[in-house]
Amino acid sequence: METSRASRADLIDPAQLASLGRMEIVAKWVVDGFLQGLHRSPRKGFSVEFAEFRPYQPGDDLRYIDWKIVARADKWMVKQFEEETNMRAAIVLDVSKSMDWRGSPERMTKLAYAEQIVASLALLLIRQKDAVGLIRYDDTLRSVIPPRARSVQWRRIVKALEEGGSGKDSDMSAALVQAGKLVSRPGLVVLVSDLLVDEEATLAALKVVRAGGHGATVLHIMDPSERDFDVSPEAIFADTERNFQLPATAAEVREAYRTTVEHAIADWRSKLAALGVGYEVVFTDSPFGVPLRRAFASRQRLP
Amino acid sequence: MLAGAVAIPLFLHLRRRRIENKVDFPAVRYLERAEKENVRQLKVRNLLLMFLRIAAVLAIAFAAARPIGAFFGAGHVPSALAIVLDNSLSTSAIVNGQPLLATLRERALEAANAASRNDRVWLVTVDGTVTGGSLDAVRQAITRTDVHPGRGDLANAITRGAGLVVGSGMEGRQVVVATDAQASTWNAPIATGDVRLSVLAPAGEAPRNRAVVLAEARPSRWTPRGTVVARAQLPDSATYRIALGERTLARGTARGGEDLTVRAAPPERGWQAGVVELEPDELRADDTRFFAVWLGAAPLVRPEPTAGPFLRTAVDALVQDARVALGGDIALAPADGAVRLPALLLAPADPTRLGAANRTLERLGLPWRFGAPRRDETAVRGDKFDGVRATLRYPLEAQTGATGDTLATAGGAPWIVAGDGFVIIGSPLDPAATDLPLRASFVPWLGDIIAQRLAGTASADLQAAPGAAMRVPSGTDGLEAPDGQVTPLTASSNAPSRAGVYFLRRGTARVGALVVNAEPEESDLARLPLATLRDRVRTRDALVTADAAEWRRSLFNLGARRPLQLPLILLALALLAAETLVVRRDERRRSAA
Repeated sequence: METSRASRADLIDPAQLASLGRMEIVAKWVVDGFLQGLHRSPRKGFSVEFAEFRPYQPGDDLRYIDWKIVARADKWMVKQFEEETNMRAAIVLDVSKSMDWRGSPERMTKLAYAEQIVASLALLLIRQKDAVGLIRYDDTLRSVIPPRARSVQWRRIVKALEEGGSGKDSDMSAALVQAGKLVSRPGLVVLVSDLLVDEEATLAALKVVRAGGHGATVLHIMDPSERDFDVSPEAIFADTERNFQLPATAAEVREAYRTTVEHAIADWRSKLAALGVGYEVVFTDSPFGVPLRRAFASRQRLP
Repeated sequence: MLAGAVAIPLFLHLRRRRIENKVDFPAVRYLERAEKENVRQLKVRNLLLMFLRIAAVLAIAFAAARPIGAFFGAGHVPSALAIVLDNSLSTSAIVNGQPLLATLRERALEAANAASRNDRVWLVTVDGTVTGGSLDAVRQAITRTDVHPGRGDLANAITRGAGLVVGSGMEGRQVVVATDAQASTWNAPIATGDVRLSVLAPAGEAPRNRAVVLAEARPSRWTPRGTVVARAQLPDSATYRIALGERTLARGTARGGEDLTVRAAPPERGWQAGVVELEPDELRADDTRFFAVWLGAAPLVRPEPTAGPFLRTAVDALVQDARVALGGDIALAPADGAVRLPALLLAPADPTRLGAANRTLERLGLPWRFGAPRRDETAVRGDKFDGVRATLRYPLEAQTGATGDTLATAGGAPWIVAGDGFVIIGSPLDPAATDLPLRASFVPWLGDIIAQRLAGTASADLQAAPGAAMRVPSGTDGLEAPDGQVTPLTASSNAPSRAGVYFLRRGTARVGALVVNAEPEESDLARLPLATLRDRVRTRDALVTADAAEWRRSLFNLGARRPLQLPLILLALALLAAETLVVRRDERRRSAA
């Protein structure tokens, strides 16, 4: 059991794994390990499985009327099946300067960690014959790759990921709106960000995405030091994205800081849940399989 | 220094305002929000930390200063304490069924028992005795302290006690006095400088006291007759007895302020001890007073015809009174005709005999010479010579090694001198030279001179208070106590501490008497009112009280004070621990969660 667990790339230390090869290779290891750990193939029954009954409405195809129910209950019900056509997904990656930070040299930056996640998730979707696209943004849209289901799409995404961030502010709203437009029919928008953004604007953008019929999942990337506030015992802490500085003694404010972070996470969780948006906090010291599993779980909830 | 000490934690506390270290931290917005949301809590926490740090540094700084103060009401600073116990004669008075000294001893023991092993304690009594060393030794000395048979010197004892505690160099210094507040003792202001003074005096009136305040043989040499004069201090009347040796001379009832006079001519010879006694009262020690007298036969005198008719007439009067008898023991003659001592030597009536007179003095080994005659009328100065004038006189000139007493002077020069076996008068006893022989006092004076100065051997009659310093007459080498025990005498001996008659010894012979009696004023037991007593004590913040509890509370000067160094260090440690707790509290809570 332990041996099996140790051999799975999705469950080992992300920094160690990332140091073993290029993003492309690492992503394949992760996805292979991830699929190996599933109890059943995610592909089975995707397109032909029965979904639900619904009342007949004028214009519905008569082929899908369940006559047995009509005979027993005298109700006209229509059988609905999982869509045979593959899902269209757009991954929205925050590459602002705040993402290019790590609390310890032994960990990956939030951006590197997020890129690895994005690569793995894209590969996983493409293997499922889903169409996947990518939007990278900071203060502007840095990369926009429309969703495609071809295998070359993944290499296109990986190439885009290797471009790096610009180190500027985030304009998440525009990126999300653009993602909603890229997914032409109801699909999935996965936002990967540290959420150091304007909360109201972000929620408004996600609301627009949801109004477009898309499912949405937010992977909140955090460095453990952003949770524990163990960067320095005493310093002037600088937010270079906002050009804002604040002197503090860690011992004096650590408890209040941790409480604030917990409240912020809970706030995000409750507000996003209210919009029907999946939300997961991912720390950069977690194995890649963890966020992948959460993102996959979100996929299972798709309508 | 204190300001600097306070500034250190303030500086440390405010130092973060000048932090130079700059760190990139994208999640500053959370930090900002945390500070905004917890600003009140943070301020309270920071103020608490600042208070704890300043208090800790202050506690350490105060501890370094080794302060002394009250702390939980226990202990006291290591102190030097002098317990002055008034054991003068007056404290032997019976009050409430026991001697007052017993009560004072109890108070003194309480003071000693209040001491700790870190204290130094001395007992000082009015006779000048000092007992130090261990607490046990002092306690035992207090218990053993008996009544001093005299007045003693309480002021000196207090001053000595203050000197002891100052000399100890200890931080706490105190003199405590347990006294009967006798007015005659506290007759002058007393001060102990910086040394705290606590005086406990008894409340209420002093007991009534009867005392013999005078007992005297007049003259001190009886040949063989004399008079005993006694006086008693009596609020009413009391029976008395006057005795000489084993013989009772008189017995009767005395009244206050009345002199008792008893004439006697006892058959005993030599130095004898006498006593005047009253019936016992609350203060027994002064119901008895001693005196001494030398008893001898009437001296034999031989007045020379050349000494003049006035001297011859005076001797006849003395013979008639049996104070002298005619014989050859004592010569009364002009100096130029004397051949041996003892003798009363007169200046020659004829100035031409001056040389012969001086040669006689030289031949007799006397250290005096007659000077050139003076014929001016000059007043004579001296005891019993009031109004006596001299019109012809030979100023007496002392020679090398002159000894003796000058009994009278004229014109500033010795006129009558006396020594061992001789009396020299600087004028002839002739109305043309001096009116002394015409005076009524001449005959008694002559009788006294013969009896006291010329009869028998030279002797001394000394009076002294118990334990007082005394001048030991030359030629005496021992002191015979009333019980017959002889102790050696030195030039710097003090009088014995027990009242009584002691005889001066030269070998086996008694050559004088030392009469030791308490001072008469010690018999006056009247006490000073507390207010007056407070006025007499000039020490700042001194306590003078009749309340034993208050007096006990004042013991050891600083009362319930002690060094605060250790408590302050403990306080500092507690404050630092509290500071650490406050700093670590949140983290611990987090860990526990």
